[in-house]
Amino acid sequence: MDTLNELANGFASALTWQNLIFAFLGCLLGTIIGVLPGIGPVAGVALLIPLTMNLDATGAIIMLCAIFYGTAYGGTITSVLLNTPGEAASAITTIDGYAMTKIGKAGAALTIAAVGSFVGGTIATLGLVAAAKPLGELGLLVGPPEFFALMVVGISLLVALAGKSMVKALISGALGLLISMVGIDPVAGAPRFTFGSDNLLDGVSFVAVIVGVFGLSEILSYRKDSKAAAVHAPGLRSLLPTGTEWRRSAPSMARGTGIGFGLGLIPGMTGSVSSLLAYGAEKKFSKHRNELGKGAIEGVAGPETANNAHANAALIPLFTLGIPASPTIAVLMGAFLQQGLTPGPTLFTEHSEIAWAIIASLFIGNLLLLLLNVPLVGLWTSILRVPASILTALILLFMVIGAYTINFNVFDVFVMIGFGLLGLALRHLDIPLAPMVLTLVLGPLMERSLRESLEISQGDFGIFVNRPISMVLIGVGVLIILSPLLKLRKPKALNEDPET
Amino acid sequence: MTTESVMTEPQRTRVAPTVLAGIGAFVVVGVYVLISSIDLGLWTSSGPGPGMFPFAMGGLLVAMSAIWLVQELRQPTETASGVDRGLVIAVVVSLALLAAVMDLIGFQLSMFIFLMYHLKIRGRRGWVSSLIIALAGSVGAFYAFNYGLNVALPTAGITVLNSIGL
Repeated sequence: MDTLNELANGFASALTWQNLIFAFLGCLLGTIIGVLPGIGPVAGVALLIPLTMNLDATGAIIMLCAIFYGTAYGGTITSVLLNTPGEAASAITTIDGYAMTKIGKAGAALTIAAVGSFVGGTIATLGLVAAAKPLGELGLLVGPPEFFALMVVGISLLVALAGKSMVKALISGALGLLISMVGIDPVAGAPRFTFGSDNLLDGVSFVAVIVGVFGLSEILSYRKDSKAAAVHAPGLRSLLPTGTEWRRSAPSMARGTGIGFGLGLIPGMTGSVSSLLAYGAEKKFSKHRNELGKGAIEGVAGPETANNAHANAALIPLFTLGIPASPTIAVLMGAFLQQGLTPGPTLFTEHSEIAWAIIASLFIGNLLLLLLNVPLVGLWTSILRVPASILTALILLFMVIGAYTINFNVFDVFVMIGFGLLGLALRHLDIPLAPMVLTLVLGPLMERSLRESLEISQGDFGIFVNRPISMVLIGVGVLIILSPLLKLRKPKALNEDPET
Repeated sequence: MTTESVMTEPQRTRVAPTVLAGIGAFVVVGVYVLISSIDLGLWTSSGPGPGMFPFAMGGLLVAMSAIWLVQELRQPTETASGVDRGLVIAVVVSLALLAAVMDLIGFQLSMFIFLMYHLKIRGRRGWVSSLIIALAGSVGAFYAFNYGLNVALPTAGITVLNSIGL
């Protein structure tokens, strides 16, 4: 009952016209980012953080969350209409989505995808509501050693699941942690790795780093031979699916919700894995599995529902434990921290109104996206008709503004350029970028909890194995890191995960 | 399609120079961090010092780079296909110049020149569309951010330019 009251208060706050506008703008911008193939959700969310700097914390986070799950909707549109996934998580939708477009059923595919996304997103958010209190209370029981151990597990999972080589993933993670340590040391107050520059005393701007590594490096790695897809106006004969299509989609949506929700809770799992596995589930369990690949509605409903259930479920570990499950969530966590909010169990005790307003806005945002998505499909595709040279120039413009306005200092623009080149080098060397983002955000928190733990134990590392919860968690982390030596194989789908 | 992507080697026999350069760079960074961390202090009377965590990360970086080198020597891997150097230089140099002069000649003028370069010269767009987009992205963005979002973009440090509103 308590939870329902708080949720009701959250709705009262989220339904103020300012917050509704922020949710609407977030959905709009998120869809645009999702539609544009050149810019992914990580850089997109980071890029728009400066826009929210002057907003109050609730409005800012509502807008950024809406951008985040808006990208999951937007990515579908180009997958279905152009056979080009706007986001990696929508890649699998191209198979049946585009096949449906070719037989004149694009409208039905988009509507089912939007409804599936709404169903998956809403059910996952209900899960967040249910889990918030109990998990938050459990979270309050953990001290610095357990918190450190929890972050070790989160990072180990991402390192183990990202890319093909764990060695490279660990290099990426170590780089992120080192970058996060630049600036004044939080405990002793000594400057670290500042090279005598005053600009680095406050640390390297996280937004400039993310925009550089994920956004600028993407532009720098464009190839002359990478042709933009030809955009045709979609022949939307009818937006409404037939009764049969609805009936066939329902079980796929249920399966997609289950898969996306479950995997969204696990750090290191990306939306791409969820949608791939959901497609696999359709191949196995759907009554019409022999039609898959030829324009079967199940091939759209399953993965798209899973993708959005995943995106919303991934917010659960962030809200309740303060652990970001994916790179985009890590960026979102960075935005929380910049607004003076620490995600995790204390969020519900210290900023309960804000937390519940954000959760309520997730329901509203999912509904707004459903309403925005399908009727405005013509607008979304017209964005793709903008020539690449204009899009690149405009994206660069936003990157410069985004990097500059964090500290109102051109130094951060140079930081962005430097990290753009680093990102390009890492891509060339096939080093995954995801672990770096996660450790960049978690680095300061991880170091603080490690040092606090060791201060409690007066320097005895035994504190991590003497306490049962941290012992189990550290054990799990070590097992994950050692898994290649123990010949534990990860699922094949993860090796082909384009997001990491 | 470039020649690089046409000529597909079945199996590399030597470590790619860029991979070696990358591993070398990570080792250099790692060693630098290890040495600096010792100077920062690994341990204090009250527990771990400011250098301890970076020391561990520097060590990890060096160790992983060494393992990577061994893996490469055993079985060299393919690197991702080459980059468009002209594009990288054009974007990086233009961004660096923009950042260098932004405080001096203001956001509006510097961004206008930057956008005109990318639209008219690199993008070969027509004059009219280039001018409209460049003006919207520079003067338009300046006013939208300053007055709409209350986010101040830089004005010119040179008095003459500043006095005419740039």
